[in-house]
Amino acid sequence: MLYFTLRRLSVAVLVALTVSWLSFSMIYLSGDPATALAGETATAADVENIRRIYGYDRPIVVQYVDWLMNALQGNLGRSHYLKSDVSKIIMERLPTTMLLGACALSFALILSIPLGVLAAIRPNSLFDRFALTLAVIGQAMPSFWFALTLILWLGIYGIGGVRLPITGSASWLNFIMPSIALGYYVTPAVMRLTRAGMLDVLSSDYIRTARAKGLRPRTVLFKHALRNAIIPVVSLAAVQFGFMLGGSIVIETIFNINGLGYLAWESIQRADLPVMQAIVLVLSIIYVIITFLADMLNAFLDPRIRVH
Amino acid sequence: MADVAEIKGHAPTADVILEPTPGAILRRRIFRHWGLIFGGIILLVIVLMALLAGVISPHDPYDQQLARKLIPPIWHESAKATWTHPLGTDHLGRDYLSRLFYGAQVSLMIGFLAMLISGIIGTTLGVLAGYFGGRVDMIVNFIVTTRLSMPVVLVALAVVSLIGGSLTVVIWVLGLLIWDRFAVVMRSATMQIRNRDFVAAAEALGCSRTRIIMTEVMPNIMNHLIVVATLEMAHAILLEAALSFLGLGVQPPTPSWGLMVSEAKGLMFFDAWLIAIPGIALFLLVLSINLLGDGLRDVTSPDGRS
Amino acid sequence: MWRRFTCAALGAFIVFSHPDVAQAGKADDTLVWATDRENTVIDPYYSNTRELVILGRHVWDALVTIDIKSGEIKPLLSTSWKWLDDKTIEFKLRDGVKFHDGRDFSADDVVYTINFVTNRANGVVTYNNVGWMAGAEKVDAKTVRIKLKKPFAAALAYLANAVPILPKGNYDSVPTGPGGKKDFTQAKPVGTGPYKVVEVKSGEFVLMERFEGYIKGGPKGTPAIKFLRYRTIKEKNTQVAESMTGAIDWIWDVPKEQAERMKANPRLTVENAKTLRVSYLQFDVKGVSPQKFFMDKRIRQAIAHAINRDAIAKSLVGPASEAIHAACHPDQFGCTADVLKDMVRYPYDPEKAKKLLAEAGHPNGFAFDIYGYREREFTEAVIGDLAKVGIKAKLNWLQFRALREKVRKGEVSVNMMTWGSYSIPDASAMVGHFFAGGPDDLTKDPDLTRMVEEAGNTPDAAKRKVLYAKVHARIAAEAYWVPLFTYAKYYVYSKDLAFTTTSDETPRFYLAKWK
Repeated sequence: MLYFTLRRLSVAVLVALTVSWLSFSMIYLSGDPATALAGETATAADVENIRRIYGYDRPIVVQYVDWLMNALQGNLGRSHYLKSDVSKIIMERLPTTMLLGACALSFALILSIPLGVLAAIRPNSLFDRFALTLAVIGQAMPSFWFALTLILWLGIYGIGGVRLPITGSASWLNFIMPSIALGYYVTPAVMRLTRAGMLDVLSSDYIRTARAKGLRPRTVLFKHALRNAIIPVVSLAAVQFGFMLGGSIVIETIFNINGLGYLAWESIQRADLPVMQAIVLVLSIIYVIITFLADMLNAFLDPRIRVH
Repeated sequence: MADVAEIKGHAPTADVILEPTPGAILRRRIFRHWGLIFGGIILLVIVLMALLAGVISPHDPYDQQLARKLIPPIWHESAKATWTHPLGTDHLGRDYLSRLFYGAQVSLMIGFLAMLISGIIGTTLGVLAGYFGGRVDMIVNFIVTTRLSMPVVLVALAVVSLIGGSLTVVIWVLGLLIWDRFAVVMRSATMQIRNRDFVAAAEALGCSRTRIIMTEVMPNIMNHLIVVATLEMAHAILLEAALSFLGLGVQPPTPSWGLMVSEAKGLMFFDAWLIAIPGIALFLLVLSINLLGDGLRDVTSPDGRS
Repeated sequence: MWRRFTCAALGAFIVFSHPDVAQAGKADDTLVWATDRENTVIDPYYSNTRELVILGRHVWDALVTIDIKSGEIKPLLSTSWKWLDDKTIEFKLRDGVKFHDGRDFSADDVVYTINFVTNRANGVVTYNNVGWMAGAEKVDAKTVRIKLKKPFAAALAYLANAVPILPKGNYDSVPTGPGGKKDFTQAKPVGTGPYKVVEVKSGEFVLMERFEGYIKGGPKGTPAIKFLRYRTIKEKNTQVAESMTGAIDWIWDVPKEQAERMKANPRLTVENAKTLRVSYLQFDVKGVSPQKFFMDKRIRQAIAHAINRDAIAKSLVGPASEAIHAACHPDQFGCTADVLKDMVRYPYDPEKAKKLLAEAGHPNGFAFDIYGYREREFTEAVIGDLAKVGIKAKLNWLQFRALREKVRKGEVSVNMMTWGSYSIPDASAMVGHFFAGGPDDLTKDPDLTRMVEEAGNTPDAAKRKVLYAKVHARIAAEAYWVPLFTYAKYYVYSKDLAFTTTSDETPRFYLAKWK
């Protein structure tokens, strides 16, 4: 286990370093960073001054190491547009996006695990086909279309006289629509995996033994089968959570949620490079950490993985 | 992601080939699989629409006539509805049916080319990793993990905004970003094939590695490749739609379905047909490609759907 | 287990969702208005967004104000003024005025504000609006003199609309930004206006509360509504959806088709009103950008002939919009029909456009990049018209500040932008900004600059008209710009709200009331 952990950890660190290099080099994609930082009213002397202060006149590798050292200490630079420290801005917005991601993931799991289990109990039945159709349809709808349709039906018309708030973050009600809109796209994958896992487990010897022993079907299903089938779902859910953090741009824009996705979209429009760079870095690192933890959990739950 | 796990459960595909009349079995399976048939028919219709756009379009898709804008489609009860514009006109008075036909070209092209680029990258990496294993596998694994950790939509948006959006840029950016699933699936498929007798036999005969990969490995992982290709094509089409929605995809006046949805979004709450027509077209396209992919996976795996 | 969980969740949902979720409106005396632009700088001199012009009127007061109905200049922070000579105005100041933080208003504040903003080194963003002043001096506690650099006819109009008075020492305690420079954009917003800023969440909202110590019986009246909340909502759809549900009381810039359809909603008032904003195409006539096509006058003229401005104005913008042919708004002084009667015009004529393109050596047209930042469908319509004469324009979409920066750097060959003249009903607010050699002047035409300056400095109205006629004739003859149309704004607001639209794009919420 120790060997596995060390190996997995070193991969994670290497990936994190590569990603940091990639997000660092983003600043050079659009030309001279000093001019961009100096802002619109700057004179040529200001630009030179900033180039010197920020050290853009040094070799790129030196700049990168310097930037990395700062980033490790939580200093991600300054946004010339928002006139504030990037790490401060990101820390303000990150909780919202994390909360949204967690809500969306909960929604997805609550919907898809029961569906997957039920579909696996009666494979190829009408219900199985229905669940599969739901999954296929989910994959095929453009997310913004789905989100706007939700607004139309739940926000404007309302169901049963109850209308959900469209924007804002005043109460948990505000998170219902965005969570559905974001979480729905995770459902197909989780559902399929739960179904496949359950089918696998249900046809295995120990479940047959459990059944033969005369245990109640429900006990067999929940205590023995689901517990084992759920292991791969845990790591899939972790990976999907990482994807959702990065994929919430469209949803946050539509529901006017002041999270990281919305900030990213604004920064892209403003060409606010330090912020863009930092968001890519932060999201990537979060993903690296989440997948590392998921792998560790998996290895803990399923000893076979460790020897691979 | 689920596909990776599912594919692990598949019995080796080579069995199909060893069965007595594989062609007949395959054909029987295909025709029993309604999803495959349904997906195939829709996709065929859309491809025909795209190919024949120049012939069957009643109007020029770029012809803007502000005087006749927002004519509703023919089934609408409004008196303005006319057979001259069966699907009505958009906010700039362009014929919606013609834009839908030409839009099919653009959406299919983006999906197909982006899939092709990502397919080439992903398959190369995946097959190399699966065949050689060891250090090569480690390096590929590392590249894939790095790619997976970068948020796709965000990076695509950032790059497109920094170099400017156009059809070519969108295709390349998407193609260079979504090869991960190809790599993962091709790697595990190749690993399974690699340990089989006929590969060992070819190696023993002293065939070159390139030859073995091309003639022994590739044909046997083709079915997995096609399945992933369909999924990624659908993925690329949806991503383009999302980029267009944020104004960074294909630039107007080029009609892509994603852009049509995006242009109509303002009237979504009032003239729902305007967003519903390209939205449903997009939905059907992605749905048909997905059904086709699922269907192909089912009929080419010997146990049917597992 | 699942069943129990589902039941509990459903129960919780029903219990919690019953309380009314509306957060705006009459019930809690909060007027919520929203636009799509995020404002990170809440200072009237370091931001030139429309939102800051509006906030400027609510949070700060100027020495004088323009009466909406009569157009007359009325005293506000002053009680009277007189011209000592054609470069000096003396103001007597109002007694008993207080700033939001409780300090008394006096001559020192006026002197501080004007001397600060006219100092080039402080780099105010709206320098074009204040640069005509040389400075201010205190005569006594209630008397100030404003010195002009040279005679300036529209001085009082500018003082009313573009020179809000800040408290003395407003910028003293700002933080130091990168490069060791003071970051003046971070000053705390304090004024004497009818509303005080209570809370700012950068890029999200600005909450204002009625200032109970506001001037009694002044020309701006006494505000009726307790709270104003300005929100940034990017997506127009979201704004529309929120106003239909009553979570927002007031929005504007609603696209025509949407607004026309919102008339059916019983809780909303929809209004189309004229504005001073105009839309135009600006060319890189010097060929600084990589695309050099627009150095050729014939190409610029071809584009002017290719665009069907009347159609765009009437069918896309709204009934109150009109096509324009000069670089100014028809309601501005120096832009009226009598001034423009001899100017060259480029009526809609695609055939002529094609001919001009052929003459310029592009019979099959060419491709270039066009940049825009607001009302995408207007720009798309222009692109559609250009496509008909064979010119392929590729659309690039940016935010205002990013685009302006790019234009100033000379990286943009053609931009379609808009200008609201800071609500000043005088052509100098437009041609003075774009053709007098400033950063947004891409023509750098010294003759034109001289003409514009002369027109701006001449006090005599009749003479000014003649000079403006020359200016517009020159711009049109060279086709430096393609002026497109005036904006007509659709306002959508709650039926509970008694609100009056004004053509200067500055809603006066301090005059609004709940019905």
